[in-house]
Amino acid sequence: MMTLLKNGKLYDPAHHKDGVVEDIYISDGRIVSKPSEKEKISQTYDLTGKVVMAGAIDMHSHIGGGKVNIARMMLPEFQETKTYSEPEAHICTPNCSHNATPNTTDTGFRYIEMGYTAAFEPAILPINARQAHLEMGDTPMIDKGGYAMLGNDDYFLRLLASRADQKAINDYVAWTLHATQAIGIKVVNPGGISAFKFNQRRLNLDENNVHYQVTPRDILKSLSTAVSQLGIAKPLHVHCNNLGVAGNFQTTLDTMGASDGVPMHLTHIQFHSYGTEGDKKFSSAAAQITEALNKNKHITADVGQILFGQTVTASGDSMMQHLNAKHASPKKTVIMDVECDAGCGVVPFRYRDQNYVNALQWAIGLELFLSVDDPWRIFLTTDHPNGAPFTSYPHLIRLLMDKSFRNEAFAKLNLDAQAMSNLTSLNREYSLYEIAIMTRAGAAKLIGLNNCGHLGAGAQADITVYTDQPNREAMFAKPNYVFKNGELVVKDGVVIKVVWGATHVTKPAFDSGVERGLSEYFEKYHTIQMDNFKISDDEITADGRGKIIAHQTS
Amino acid sequence: MMSANLRTNQCIATCPACGLLCDDVLLENKQNKLNVLNNNCAKSFAFFAPSLDENLINTTPKIANKPATLQQAIMHAAKLLKQAKQPAFSGLSTDIAGFRAIYHLAQKTNASLQHANAQSMARNIDVLQSAGWQTTTLTEVKNRADVLVCIGSDIVSHHPRFFERFILQDGMFVSAKQREIIFIGENLSLEKLKNDAVEATSLLPCRAADLPEITLVLRALVTGKQLKAITVAGVKVSDLQSIADKLKNAKYAVLAWVAKDLDFAHAELTIQNMTETVVTLNQTTRAGALPLGGSDGDTSANNANTWLSGLALNDTHIEHDCMLWVNSFSADKLPPKTDKPLIVLGNINHRLEQAPDVFIPIATPGLDCSGTLFRVDSAVVLPLKKVRGYHQPTLALPTLSEVVSEIESLL
Repeated sequence: MMTLLKNGKLYDPAHHKDGVVEDIYISDGRIVSKPSEKEKISQTYDLTGKVVMAGAIDMHSHIGGGKVNIARMMLPEFQETKTYSEPEAHICTPNCSHNATPNTTDTGFRYIEMGYTAAFEPAILPINARQAHLEMGDTPMIDKGGYAMLGNDDYFLRLLASRADQKAINDYVAWTLHATQAIGIKVVNPGGISAFKFNQRRLNLDENNVHYQVTPRDILKSLSTAVSQLGIAKPLHVHCNNLGVAGNFQTTLDTMGASDGVPMHLTHIQFHSYGTEGDKKFSSAAAQITEALNKNKHITADVGQILFGQTVTASGDSMMQHLNAKHASPKKTVIMDVECDAGCGVVPFRYRDQNYVNALQWAIGLELFLSVDDPWRIFLTTDHPNGAPFTSYPHLIRLLMDKSFRNEAFAKLNLDAQAMSNLTSLNREYSLYEIAIMTRAGAAKLIGLNNCGHLGAGAQADITVYTDQPNREAMFAKPNYVFKNGELVVKDGVVIKVVWGATHVTKPAFDSGVERGLSEYFEKYHTIQMDNFKISDDEITADGRGKIIAHQTS
Repeated sequence: MMSANLRTNQCIATCPACGLLCDDVLLENKQNKLNVLNNNCAKSFAFFAPSLDENLINTTPKIANKPATLQQAIMHAAKLLKQAKQPAFSGLSTDIAGFRAIYHLAQKTNASLQHANAQSMARNIDVLQSAGWQTTTLTEVKNRADVLVCIGSDIVSHHPRFFERFILQDGMFVSAKQREIIFIGENLSLEKLKNDAVEATSLLPCRAADLPEITLVLRALVTGKQLKAITVAGVKVSDLQSIADKLKNAKYAVLAWVAKDLDFAHAELTIQNMTETVVTLNQTTRAGALPLGGSDGDTSANNANTWLSGLALNDTHIEHDCMLWVNSFSADKLPPKTDKPLIVLGNINHRLEQAPDVFIPIATPGLDCSGTLFRVDSAVVLPLKKVRGYHQPTLALPTLSEVVSEIESLL
């Protein structure tokens, strides 16, 4: 069966197409080259005047696993239907559940309604990976995948402290990717989550973890090298030390140098771009951070924009979440030490536009977006739900594309915060082409999804069709059509067919001898059998809905 | 334990008989009977080696106590659910796949969901939803806990192997000898609880009814409050002060309880005293709360319900006009009394007091079919194996999700 999408305006940065009017042919779930005249076209969509992009990819969104579920469990009040007033009313799509902790069905539906066809859970605790996959397995409509957290687990820290050679580290990293069915590796507060378990309260880049006598820099070097040597496309995903602390920008700048030029991705960098200037000793360091980002070509980043309203922060960074618990609103917090593997901290949070720090956080995020030169190295995220629910993306896109809208919003902020930001001097407005880079082509390239994020022949036919309209929020909130694997699943912003996406993984080769040390460790210190730590393909696919797409390493 | 060393009639299984999900259970098939070889846990033995005496098991579906085919029983169950306006699905003792199926059937039939352990689960959930908590997990306990306080429970009644697996062994950062164990509660015997592997074990006896007051005083003392009273509920304040000091001087103190054992009004406030004690301790040293229990798949049902619906599995008492009761794991659990139509999807070893309108025997995950369960600490999720059938003649029981999806297709 051949489907024709006729006459759309294509924004396909992977093929340098910036508003080119072209036809797209779909067969068997894939985009194909123009067929011969003899081929029968079963269905034609006339897209004259419409904007056509690949399905969007959220490269960092907490959609599954322990801490998200703890947030849901702790916050039943989030599930109530409320009539929201400004500014909260502003951040939602027409069908938005107004909810920072959507259930799995809501997650899939809200994503696809906005034209997103894939989302990646960035913090899978290896020991808890089975839960993450169970939840993602119950998330309809979209493709998914995740990054496994390493660098605070005692097994890795023991290897590093004993000066194990890089090959041993590489084997362990590859083994972990297999065992957890992940596509990338993340490190959260390198060494810090472990340090907190030894009662250390802060950890700087060149400070030793008291027990292991290794530094965050050692950890970053070792893990980024492993990821690179194993040929994993996705660079090491780094949540820096000192999240949320005034003055942390120096840690972030130093972190960029910790890998000696090996690629690293610094995530939710907004939370790591704070200075100490001004009366309140809290200022924007977006200028210093973007200058370094523009210079350091081996570094990519996503922003982690905050938007005003109620949300919840869910992080593996138990050390910093414990420190932030005093800001919880409503006043409750979960902090967990998890299995000599990692940690977890869930702190509900209400960002207020009249609060100096929150207002400045909002401005810092936008300053970062607008000052990074290369849209292929910066990604659109709110670190869902930590900065705001992902349903606020259309609003965020409008802030980036519409200067007067942005400046109007800025003028409503806390006045002291306004005085500390140069946002109104930044005249940049993102183009549709640049938005397509940030949310499609760039994200696919970063993660290594060769068949997603573009509209060329061979691509998975995940396609979003919008009406070009001046109100970019309205435009991106409600696409006319969304195709998932070639099937029309959303019409006029409403789901018309339920489908189940695939799970993207990568499985680099490793020396199976790595299991000698691991099985001894499991036997002695763990509380489960090593074999049960590993998630089989069957566990993801046996229900008949799940599917695994394994990406080759280079 | 390496599976390579196993004999052909042996396998290593995961035991769902309590919330610890021990996954090192060595089973051997001898003359078509499963034996548990490597531990002496009565719960595990009862789970893996139930009676298969033909006079004692119910492998045949029944309608009004009369044998029926599976298809007839499914059709009758569907008919009863169709007639009902407000069914209640209770028991819910199953694994993730079973719960997913039940959840979807509940959506379709407007049914309320109530786990058999709902009352005790709510004691913990109330604390989580009102103040949050700072918790730890079993591997952390094994490797770090130097002071363990067990409040209102001997733990072993619920988890026979808790001490053997996590406390009486050397951890990465603490040896068994260095640990100190303190019990506070009623009907506990120090003689039974002591073990030479740990040097210091002590008991502070008190009535369960006094735990609210005693935990409140302990919390106050850990916070640094000075008390004028000499005794509280018959316990010397100086004894509680010495426990408070041990907690504050510990490197990694753990406060453990089993919600089911705190069976008195407003037990959630006692639990909150413990969790807030941990919060206070974590301002200066490290500590973790450890809610134990978690039997009959309750942790799994609660987690799955939470991600499927956005809400925890509550303790709801909703009027119903039909009850569907699910019990895969423990044969000795019985459905609540009801005068409404009753459908039982249950264990072959049940001895039901009331003959239900429909009885359908279902496979037990971890015995008759594979499955997935959450451990009590929610951090670890483990696969369950099919062990009966590989090593014995299979009983050919349908899984819960097979039965439920057939019922659903008839609605």
